[in-house]
Amino acid sequence: MALPRTRRSISSAIALTAASALLLAGCSSSSGSDSGAVTLEFWGWAPGLETAVETWNDANPDVQVEFFRMTGDDGAKIPPAIDAGTAPDAVQMSVHSLPGHIINNRLIDISEYTDGLAEQFTPSSWKGVEFGDGIYAIPQDSGPTGLMYRSDIFEQYNLTAPATWDEYLETARALKAANPELFIGQFSPNETGFWLEQVWQNEGTFNTIDGDAWTVEVNNEQSQEVAAIWQTLVDEQLVKVVDMWTPEYWAEVNAGTIASINYAAWFPALLAENAGATAGNWSVAPSPTFAGSDAAGETGGSVDVVPTGTENVEQAVEFLTWLNSSDESLDILIEEGGLFPTALAGLDNPKMLTEQEFFGGQVINEVFVDAAKTVPSSWVDGPNYDITQDALKDEFAKVGTGAQTFAEALDAVQALTVKNLTDAGLSVK
Amino acid sequence: MRVAPYVFLTPFILSFVIFMILPIVVALYTSFFQVKRSGLGFGGDNDSVFVGFDNYVQAFANSAFMDSFGRVLLFGIVQVPIMLALSLLLALLFDSAVVKAKRFFQLAVFLPYAVPSVVAALIWGFLYQPRVSPIVEGLADLGVSVDFLGPGTVLWSIANVAVWSVTGVNMIILFSALQTVPREMYEAARLDGASEFRMALQIKLPMIYPALLLTTLFSIIGTLQLFNEPMTMRSVTSNISGSYTPNMAIFNATTLGGNINLGSAMAIILGLATFVLSIVVSVATNRKKGKA
Repeated sequence: MALPRTRRSISSAIALTAASALLLAGCSSSSGSDSGAVTLEFWGWAPGLETAVETWNDANPDVQVEFFRMTGDDGAKIPPAIDAGTAPDAVQMSVHSLPGHIINNRLIDISEYTDGLAEQFTPSSWKGVEFGDGIYAIPQDSGPTGLMYRSDIFEQYNLTAPATWDEYLETARALKAANPELFIGQFSPNETGFWLEQVWQNEGTFNTIDGDAWTVEVNNEQSQEVAAIWQTLVDEQLVKVVDMWTPEYWAEVNAGTIASINYAAWFPALLAENAGATAGNWSVAPSPTFAGSDAAGETGGSVDVVPTGTENVEQAVEFLTWLNSSDESLDILIEEGGLFPTALAGLDNPKMLTEQEFFGGQVINEVFVDAAKTVPSSWVDGPNYDITQDALKDEFAKVGTGAQTFAEALDAVQALTVKNLTDAGLSVK
Repeated sequence: MRVAPYVFLTPFILSFVIFMILPIVVALYTSFFQVKRSGLGFGGDNDSVFVGFDNYVQAFANSAFMDSFGRVLLFGIVQVPIMLALSLLLALLFDSAVVKAKRFFQLAVFLPYAVPSVVAALIWGFLYQPRVSPIVEGLADLGVSVDFLGPGTVLWSIANVAVWSVTGVNMIILFSALQTVPREMYEAARLDGASEFRMALQIKLPMIYPALLLTTLFSIIGTLQLFNEPMTMRSVTSNISGSYTPNMAIFNATTLGGNINLGSAMAIILGLATFVLSIVVSVATNRKKGKA
C-alpha cells in the first residue's frame, strides 16, 4: 500500500537533506583537498606558542597549523590518543617520556628530515632525542641549573656564593652556626628534579644502552657521590625537609628560612610569582661544581614529537624545525614566552639577556646560558622513567623522616627499576 | 505479554551492561594477557600474548600492593566503627526530643558530604600543614608540636577527612530508618518504665538493623576503594607512597607503568576482595540478627 501523500514528501525531504549533508561533509575535509593546503594539529603548553604559530601560518599558506594549548591533565590524554589513532600531528612533551613512548611505537622516526639539524642544538639536548639510529623529537627547551640565593641573608652573615659542592657544605655549616633557624637549602622528596640535576651534573644517568640491553645506573658511582653530599646535608640538618610546591613550602620561602635554591632556568619565573615577599633580595650565581669539572646540572626540558599516525610527517618536521631553531620563532618564544631554548641560536639571542627586577636587576640568563653550554651529554632515559621517578619520591620520603639512608634508597629504587624492566621482558645487563 | 515494563527497563539495562558489565569483562580478558617485549624494546610488534594467571601471580608477589590491602583494612577496622557509631549517636539524638533546632543541626552535619572529596582533602591538607594551618600553629603556640602528616599519623589524618565527609550522609540514612519505627512501641516501652537510653539500645537499634547493615556494607566498600583523599593529599606530603591504597597501586601500574594487563589483574583482585568481604559482613550480621 503506498504511503499517504504527506508521509511520502516528508521521507523524500529527509532523504534529500541527508544526501546533501553527506556531500557537504565530503567538501569540507581539512587536508588533501583540491587547494593542496595541509593542516597540522599541534598541542603544546609553552607560553608564546600561539604567536609563533600565527607567524608561521601567515608565511606558509600551504601548511597551516592549528594550535591547542595544553593544561592540567591534557598530557595524560596523549598516549591513549596516539594508541587510538586520534592524536595531533605534533605534540610537546617532556624529554624523559621519549623511550617509554618509543617502545610502544607511539613516535615516528624523523631522522630522514633532520640532516644537519644536530649542529644547531646543544649536544646534551640533541643526545636526548637520539635513540639507536633514529631521531624521535626536536628539542624545544631545557632547564640548566643556577644557584638562586638570598643575597641579603648571605650579606648579613658574611657568606659568599659557593663555587664548589665542598664550599656549599662549608657555607651551609657557617649559616647554621650563625642562625640555627635558617637553612642553606631544601630537601624535597617529592621533587626528584633536584636529585636528577645533580646526578646529571656529575655525569651520571639513570640508564644507559649497552648493545642490545638496558642498564640501570640509579645507584652507580656518580649517584653515590651525590648521595654522600645529600646525606651530610640531611644528617647535619643543614637543609629544610619540606615538600615542594606546597603552601607550606612557599610560606617557608617567603619567611626566608631557605637561603638558596639550586634549580633550573625555568624556576625564576615561578619563584617571582610565589615568593613576592622576598622580591629584590635574590641573586643568581653559577651552580656549585664537582671537583675537576665546571659542568652545570640540567633537569631536562621539553621536546616536540611527531606521533605515529601523522600523515604529513615532512611538513610537521618542517614546522617544528622552524619553531625551535629559526631566529624568527625564537625571538617570539624568548621575548613573549620566556622560553629557555636548546637551540644555539636561541642561547645567543640578545633578547635572552633582560634585567630581572626580582633578582635585584641582575641579567640572570647570563648564568643560565653559560650553564647550558657546559651540561654533560651523559644522560640516557630508560623506558620506565615514570616508575623510577615515583619510586625515588617514595624512598626519599623515608630518608626525609630518617627511616633510611640515601644509599639504601638508591639500592631500593635500583632493584625496583631492574625488576620492572625484566618483568616487561626487556633485556637488562 | 506486557512489553511496557521491559521497554522502561531497557535504557537502564543497556547502560548497566555497557558501562558496568562490559568493562569488567574486558578487564578480565585483558588480565590474562601480557605484552611481550625483548632486547631494548624498540621496533617490536608489541603483540599481546596469553599468559594465564601470570599477572595475578605478579600482583600477589607485589609487596607494595599487598601492603596497601593491609593498610586499607586497618583503616577500615578503625574508621568504619567510629564513623558509624558517630552517625548512630547523632541519628538517635536527633530522633529523641533532646535536640532543639533539629533541622539546622541536621543540615550542618550533612554539609561536609556536599563537599567533593578532592576539595575536602585539599582543605584538610591546608589544615594539616605546618606554617599555613591555624590548628598546627595554634597548638605550637600552646607548646604542643603536632605532625599530622608524618609517616605514622598520615593514615589517621586521612581517616579524619573520611569521617568528617560521610558521617552526615550515614546519619541521614539511619535517621530516616528510625522514622519508620512505629511510635506505639515507644509508648509501650515508656509504660513499662524503660528510660530513653534503654529504648535506644533495645528497641530503636534492633529495628533499624537493615539500615545499619546497609551503611556498614557501603562504608566497607568505600574504604577498600579509597583513592581520592590519599591521592590529593599526596601533593602536600610525600609520606603517602604511590601505592598507598590498592586503587593507587592500580593507577600506578596502569598510568605510570603503562601495564594495563597487570592493572586489570590487580583491579579484579580488588573487586573480588570487596565482594568476599561484603559477603562475610552480611553473613555475620544476619547470623547475629537471627540469634536476636
